[in-house]
Amino acid sequence: MTAVDFEPGFVFSHLGPLGQGLARTLAISAVGTAGALAVGGLLGAASALRIPVVRQGIGAYVEVFRNTPLLVQIFFLYFALPEAGVKLSAFTVGWLSLVLWGGAYNAENFRAGFEAVDPKYVEACRALGFSELASFRRVVLPLGTRTALPSVTNTLISVFKNSSFMIAIGYPELTDTAVDIVSVTFRAFEVFIAIGVVYLGLVWIFSLGAGLVERRFAIPGGH
Amino acid sequence: MMPLWVGPVARYMATGLVTTLALAAVSIAVSVVLGTLLGALLVLPSRAVRLAVRCYVEIWRGLPIIVTLFFIFFVLPVIGLRFDTFVAAAIGLCLWGSANVAEVVRGAVQSVPHGQADAAAALGFPWGRRMRHVVFPQAVRRALPPLVGLVVNLTQQTSLATVIGVLDLLQASQRSIERLTLSTGATHAIPILGAVLVVYFVICLPLTFLSRRLERSLQRA
Repeated sequence: MTAVDFEPGFVFSHLGPLGQGLARTLAISAVGTAGALAVGGLLGAASALRIPVVRQGIGAYVEVFRNTPLLVQIFFLYFALPEAGVKLSAFTVGWLSLVLWGGAYNAENFRAGFEAVDPKYVEACRALGFSELASFRRVVLPLGTRTALPSVTNTLISVFKNSSFMIAIGYPELTDTAVDIVSVTFRAFEVFIAIGVVYLGLVWIFSLGAGLVERRFAIPGGH
Repeated sequence: MMPLWVGPVARYMATGLVTTLALAAVSIAVSVVLGTLLGALLVLPSRAVRLAVRCYVEIWRGLPIIVTLFFIFFVLPVIGLRFDTFVAAAIGLCLWGSANVAEVVRGAVQSVPHGQADAAAALGFPWGRRMRHVVFPQAVRRALPPLVGLVVNLTQQTSLATVIGVLDLLQASQRSIERLTLSTGATHAIPILGAVLVVYFVICLPLTFLSRRLERSLQRA
């Protein structure tokens, strides 16, 4: 090829597969996001409540998943676990790895948020006769969640972006579909600019939405 | 006694680890230098400069790194530039890393209370010395914990170079597994990929602790 010929219209003839890829990206991201929220919130609360043994167990889980690359975790789930008799489909590894990875980060985000709540509020609750669990549910949970919100939404946006890692196990999400099309047609410019715009557009929309939620739930008068 | 396959596989993976460490070192060094410069530009008064740097930061921070890596890997040859996969991976990681460092530096500089610079101005310090002696030393302390966190993140992200064919630690482990499967029929994927996890863990955990300690000493100050 002597000159670069650029044909944006080319992308439109591949909208079908790209659309299906995007749908799969959104599917594993949705499960991954919901799971990472649930796992993170639950484990973050258990850590903040300082339940012995449970807290150390959660700490170990968080350190292992935060200090190893997500891609290696994906490889382990997909290529190593079958050796132990656990065979998971690419789709299952896709959402499960995102839940485990995002859950570890969110557990830490939530724990930090809960522990940032001024202990004098909890003391006041206890003095009023609230049980430890009730004071957590009524005071620490609502305040701490709002403090944790910015870092939690950051992690969730990373979960969405990291759904692209599933190309490594051949799960046909958006990036994998795009690379497939490029390796057959060599239309790298058109295809990558198209999916780049889609990813950036979605990331920016999610960031805007996260910003709105954070402002809506900001603790009045600061913290 | 270790099984016979362990020796050759370990040696092969060690060469992969060297590539991983080299890739991490290059990406971290370039990202910190370039990102600090870009972050400094983000706090300059010029709106045009800020807008240009903001575009750079939002694009390379927002894109999944894998998409950036494939873009570089496929597009650069089309416009006549030939790089080997290591260089392509390094460029992609540096784009992402420098954009993130720029955000950290901007945040750190802007978190230094305005009164500090105002007080220095009142004492007759010109802009340059105000920055050098008053704002910068405080900003560095604030930037350090998230920067160490970014170093951990970049080190982990080097594993993505595998998908464009760099022979890093993960790629070496993957090829070892394939070779063992062909020659002996047994994959040994659990010990091999487990070892990769352990190596990354041993590199990253101390840095994570360091970042947390810096964070705590900052909160005490």
